[in-house]
Amino acid sequence: MDDKIVEFISLLRSNGLRTSLSEDLDAFAAVSRMGLGDRTQLRDTLRATLVKSTLDIATFDELFDLYFGGLADAMKQVETASRQALQVDDGDYQDLIDSLAEILEQMDVDLSDLAQHLLQDDTGQLERRLREAAREADLGNIERSFQEGRYGHSVAQILGIGGLAQELERLKEQLGDLDPDLQERLAKLIDQRLQDLTNMIKRMVRLELQKRDQTLRENQRERSLEDKSFYYLSEEEVRQMKEAVAKLAQRLKNVVAIRRRKGKRGKFDVKATLRRNLQYGGVPFRIQFDRRIKDRPQVMVLCDVSDSVRNVSRFMLQFVYSLQDLYARVRSFIFVSDIGEVTQMFEEFEIQEALDQSLSGGVINIYAHSDFGRAFRTFHRDHLEAVNKRTTVIVLGDARNNYNAAHEWVLRDVKLRAKQVIWLNPENRLTWGFGDSEMDRYMPHCDIVEECRNLKQLYAVVDRMVH
Amino acid sequence: MFTSIDDVIEKFAAERYICDRRIATVVYLASELQKPILVEGPAGVGKTELAKVTARALGHDLIRLQCYEGLDEAKALYEWEYAKQLLYTQILKDKIGEVIGAAPTLAEAVDRIANEDDVFFSDRFLLPRPLLQAVSSAEPSVLLIDEIDKADSEFEAFLLEVLSDFQVSVPELGTLRARHVPIVVLTSNNAREMSDALKRRCLHLYIDFPTADRELEIVRLKVPDVRDELAEQVVAVVQKIRDADLKKTPSISETLDWAKALTLLNVGHLDDALVDETLSTILKYEGDLRKGQEELRAHLAKRKAEAAATSSPGDDASKDMLH
Ligand SMILES: Nc1ncnc2c1ncn2[C@@H]1O[C@H](COP(=O)(O)OP(=O)(O)O)[C@@H](O)[C@H]1O
Ligand SMILES: [Mg+2]
Repeated sequence: MDDKIVEFISLLRSNGLRTSLSEDLDAFAAVSRMGLGDRTQLRDTLRATLVKSTLDIATFDELFDLYFGGLADAMKQVETASRQALQVDDGDYQDLIDSLAEILEQMDVDLSDLAQHLLQDDTGQLERRLREAAREADLGNIERSFQEGRYGHSVAQILGIGGLAQELERLKEQLGDLDPDLQERLAKLIDQRLQDLTNMIKRMVRLELQKRDQTLRENQRERSLEDKSFYYLSEEEVRQMKEAVAKLAQRLKNVVAIRRRKGKRGKFDVKATLRRNLQYGGVPFRIQFDRRIKDRPQVMVLCDVSDSVRNVSRFMLQFVYSLQDLYARVRSFIFVSDIGEVTQMFEEFEIQEALDQSLSGGVINIYAHSDFGRAFRTFHRDHLEAVNKRTTVIVLGDARNNYNAAHEWVLRDVKLRAKQVIWLNPENRLTWGFGDSEMDRYMPHCDIVEECRNLKQLYAVVDRMVH
Repeated sequence: MFTSIDDVIEKFAAERYICDRRIATVVYLASELQKPILVEGPAGVGKTELAKVTARALGHDLIRLQCYEGLDEAKALYEWEYAKQLLYTQILKDKIGEVIGAAPTLAEAVDRIANEDDVFFSDRFLLPRPLLQAVSSAEPSVLLIDEIDKADSEFEAFLLEVLSDFQVSVPELGTLRARHVPIVVLTSNNAREMSDALKRRCLHLYIDFPTADRELEIVRLKVPDVRDELAEQVVAVVQKIRDADLKKTPSISETLDWAKALTLLNVGHLDDALVDETLSTILKYEGDLRKGQEELRAHLAKRKAEAAATSSPGDDASKDMLH
């Protein structure tokens, strides 16, 4: 059973449902505690231990049915069809199987395991053999329907269908002494069983393909969103993207929260308390805990919201908003040609409202032509003072400057004072420096420069920032 | 403890909670593996009740921590009773004077007091909050951490520590370790995503709005006086209304409220006028009320058309319309 669960978990994983080792162990512990039970119970047990997001429940259920139900169900269907082909009902069929077993015992023939499972209708054992063969044939790698034949063939070979067919032929000959009527019926049964096994292999291969198909479909959907450039998104994708960025922000928040736990509630500090309470005659009015003083990071974000990055700036701003939510000391600016601070606004308003306001033209003229140089100079004049050796300055923009003066010296000055300067550019790296892009001039004055065209790159940037 | 999944179902039924195998499996697993359960789902589907009923079914104490924005360690774990400490210092002023005695310097005096601080940071002045209560309880308990999604991520991270080893350290007193690992139920209305770390630690249970059959069962159980026909109609209407795109989808609590109110009014079955008059019991927003009525009207019109098509004109089809 453990093997099956391991395999199932890897199927989940290839469908984007990641589980951690501790969850896998929980699943094993739970299944062994609960006993096998029926399929529903197994499903409920695995789901409770392995699926932690409501959104994943549907995928899990589907995969569970495919994996744990699929083959067994398919085998049952094959058997039903086989009875119809033999034109017998369940009772007759069982009688036939039983009498064959009896005769074989009397004749004392030595059959291979596979032949025995097949002729004695031992579905459980057959399923096990099929699965083993599937594993050996790497059936899990099947990707396209034209490969069905090839994989089916190699599963059949591993099972040894050729040898089995010969074995069954010989067996039929040995039945020659029986009453002709019975002999004929048994011969038919034997032929049919061989046919059944072939059919089971075919069904199994088809099932596997369905699983992979689903894997592919799902993966493609996700991957395409992650890889898709912020510039070209449909309305639906914009919606999904917003969710994804929100999730990203939440993840960031969780990581930071856990990290911060390391500075725990300090111990009660008697001396400091008494010192603080001298004015109250030594009566401890105000309690003092000793706390490690943390080097609080400061972040200043400068976000380009010009026309050329219109689509991108919403996500960028959403991201900036979450950053601000996360770190107490974030100051956020937006710029096109003017530059304006939106920190206060981001603090006061809900995200949608805040974004709408930033992009409505109330803070700065957003219909102006981009002028990074001018915006930087203004920043230099008004805010350079605020930059110090604990400040991380993040610039989000495409550096397309309409052939205005770049004034890269501003960045040089900022870099001298700041802890680090990070530039995230939503344009393809290949286009940097061409046309009116001043990226080449700005780059030397940054500590980190990243292309940030899609969700995947944004994820990567965030990972670097929090780790 | 529960002896099996069926045992959970039976014990819950005895405590008037309708529970399917899926829910029972998770509860049973949680008690067997000593893992917390994270219950997610819309408001009013019985998440909180699940914890309460678990406590009742096992005869355990229920310890509840209601989460809210800004909830912090002090409110969840323990606080020092400053007022009481203050009072004691006042009363013991002379004694304190003795301890300080003729200390030559202020620093010396402070040191002497510091030697005595154990007295003031002892159990006597400790105010245990739910988490500490659960950890220090002499009896096995059920710990309900309700609406965890309302607390901040920082609090969640703190909770994670407590849940990972069920020990709590009070710097002034030392480390307390739970004598009985409580059964922990965390609920969330999905206001925000929980951290992966917390999810990893928990078993997961999603409770959705109930099917019509289950909801009917719950109504009959919780409003025993309700007439059969009324119960069926109420459930049918609520189920229908849940299809509409509403700001607040009515939940089991609303269904129960409605059935109770109608039963109090001694109503035997619903008609259009009654629905119009009392729909506000289950729909709290003006816009929702309008949408709900539209949804029902459309539904009724469709029913009527169907009834007209299948039965001879003049038949009274209105009786069955709400089904
Ligand atoms: N399965 C159930 N069996 C009996 N009563 C239920 C069930 N589910 C919900 N209820 C009732 O519905 C109401 C709302 O439940 P509650 O636990 O407060 O919801 P939640 O915590 O999910 O918001 C309660 O009165 C509860 O008794
Ligand atoms: Mg609740």
